[in-house]
Amino acid sequence: MSTNHLLEIKNLKIDVRVTKAKRLSIVDTASLIIEPGQIIGLIGESGSGKTMLCRSLVGTLGRRGAYIASGELKFDGIDLITAKQNVWNEIRGKRIGYVPQSALAGPNPVMTIGAQLAEAILQDENFPKSDVEKRSLELLNIVQIRRPETVLKQYQHELSGGMKQRVMIACAIAQQPQLIVADEPTTGLDVTVQAEIMDLLKQIRKDFNTSIILVSHDLPLINEICDDIVVMHAGTTVEKIPSKSIKASKHPYTIALYNSRIDLVEPKGQLKTINGQPPSVGSWPEGCRFSERCDFAKDQCRVKQDLPLISIGSNHQTSCLRHDEIAR
Amino acid sequence: MNIIEAKNVSVTFDSYGDIIKAVDHVDFVLPKGQTIGIVGESGSGKSTFARVLSGLQLPTSGSVTFMEKPIQNGKNTYEGALRKEVQMVFQDPYGSLNPRMRIIKAIAEAIRQHQGLDKKAAKVAALDLLESMGISNLDAQKFPSKLSGGQRQRASVARALSAQPSVLIADEPTSAIDQSAQAQLLGLFNELIKKGLSIVLVSHDLGVIRYLSDYVYVMKDGVFVESGKSEEIFNNPKEDYTKKLISSIPGHSIK
Repeated sequence: MSTNHLLEIKNLKIDVRVTKAKRLSIVDTASLIIEPGQIIGLIGESGSGKTMLCRSLVGTLGRRGAYIASGELKFDGIDLITAKQNVWNEIRGKRIGYVPQSALAGPNPVMTIGAQLAEAILQDENFPKSDVEKRSLELLNIVQIRRPETVLKQYQHELSGGMKQRVMIACAIAQQPQLIVADEPTTGLDVTVQAEIMDLLKQIRKDFNTSIILVSHDLPLINEICDDIVVMHAGTTVEKIPSKSIKASKHPYTIALYNSRIDLVEPKGQLKTINGQPPSVGSWPEGCRFSERCDFAKDQCRVKQDLPLISIGSNHQTSCLRHDEIAR
Repeated sequence: MNIIEAKNVSVTFDSYGDIIKAVDHVDFVLPKGQTIGIVGESGSGKSTFARVLSGLQLPTSGSVTFMEKPIQNGKNTYEGALRKEVQMVFQDPYGSLNPRMRIIKAIAEAIRQHQGLDKKAAKVAALDLLESMGISNLDAQKFPSKLSGGQRQRASVARALSAQPSVLIADEPTSAIDQSAQAQLLGLFNELIKKGLSIVLVSHDLGVIRYLSDYVYVMKDGVFVESGKSEEIFNNPKEDYTKKLISSIPGHSIK
């Protein structure tokens, strides 16, 4: 195993404690590799474990009563599973920045934006206090906020949704992290604002060579800005595919997601929907967890077995057993 | 024939002495059996306007008519038999269903209210309605918290349809749900359109608007800056604002 990947997740399993004896898996055999400067899109339906996977990267699983049961999680060669609090303090916020899901509730309502940015900046204890304001303005400029001097003195309720999300991004990049985890950063924002935020993330990647994990359930969006797409279904990663070749997907779930896009059909045409509901946590079927909803599944898919990602081309991995039979 | 017409409608709000014009002298028509899309960014006034059409918000000036009769009588709107004709589907399915009522009970109650059936018949009718919305008898016995976002939104469409309305006003019905669930919901709307229901669809998602609408109004700062047949708006937008909205659709460039 080489250590030059920025982030390596291998067969990660995250469990939650339900009762003293009962454990429920919410993420199972998830694998993901990120190189420096890459934007990875993580896509999946609600409840597929995207957010929990993100939380494992900033070490906040415990707050939800969840923990990593098995697998590997390495960031720049550091094992994050066994990491102690002092190691986390050096990583969380400093080397891995986190942009949370709820942009609208993101910033602290009783702190000024300036105070929050100062807090993010002063995570670095050696940072001279006299330069905090200068650095805050610099950060607000990076995230393209107009009138940064005024915004520093404002509270979150005085800002629009897009501006709040920009402030959250500014906090996340305060320490120039190597990796930004953006968990559905534009859910609830307008399409025009969404396009601006996406441009901003691309610009940050270009300027600072930051890697970004972008979580979303919006396939066209992910397809547009990411280098690679990682598809999650029922707690596992089912396919990793370069976004350029999304049309050559070799997993029925990715194909179904792609086909359910409404921009592909004529107005009022027949939409291709995915059958049924995503299996809920705790009642995942044996074998391939998509088999119940898959038109393509055969008995061999439903047998209890491990379905790891198999490499089937440059940078293309799928967990589908019958991937060579998929032709489109 | 126009089923709903709005003439010169304005809504202003008073915010600490500042007068905010949410909707500013707009005209709107909903022809029978058509689907009209209203697009715009947050704060453009589209939700306020939808609330005016559904009678939940009184206009500051101007009038709304339903089948050529004014909907407003003093402070009341859609009185008597008109009440059930216009129903609304809200953005947030979590907030629009009673969390302490099983789905079946919530729908049966609406059916009893609007169709005057007795308890037993209402329950049967509710099950049928939910079944046609793709919610199984088993799921109908559950509380809203036990359903997925897409199922909940379909349940709230069922709630709206239980009144057997002739107009459905949907305010961002797909914003809070997954892409795959969105496709199921849009398929459902498509069937309703085929059955002759008139729909006002409010959304900032142009993909959804393009898919369902016959005619589109583009709203900005409380006024309709552009309106036209759906294909005209999307293939040949005239206003810069419309162009900007269309170019912001993710995947637009790869289409």
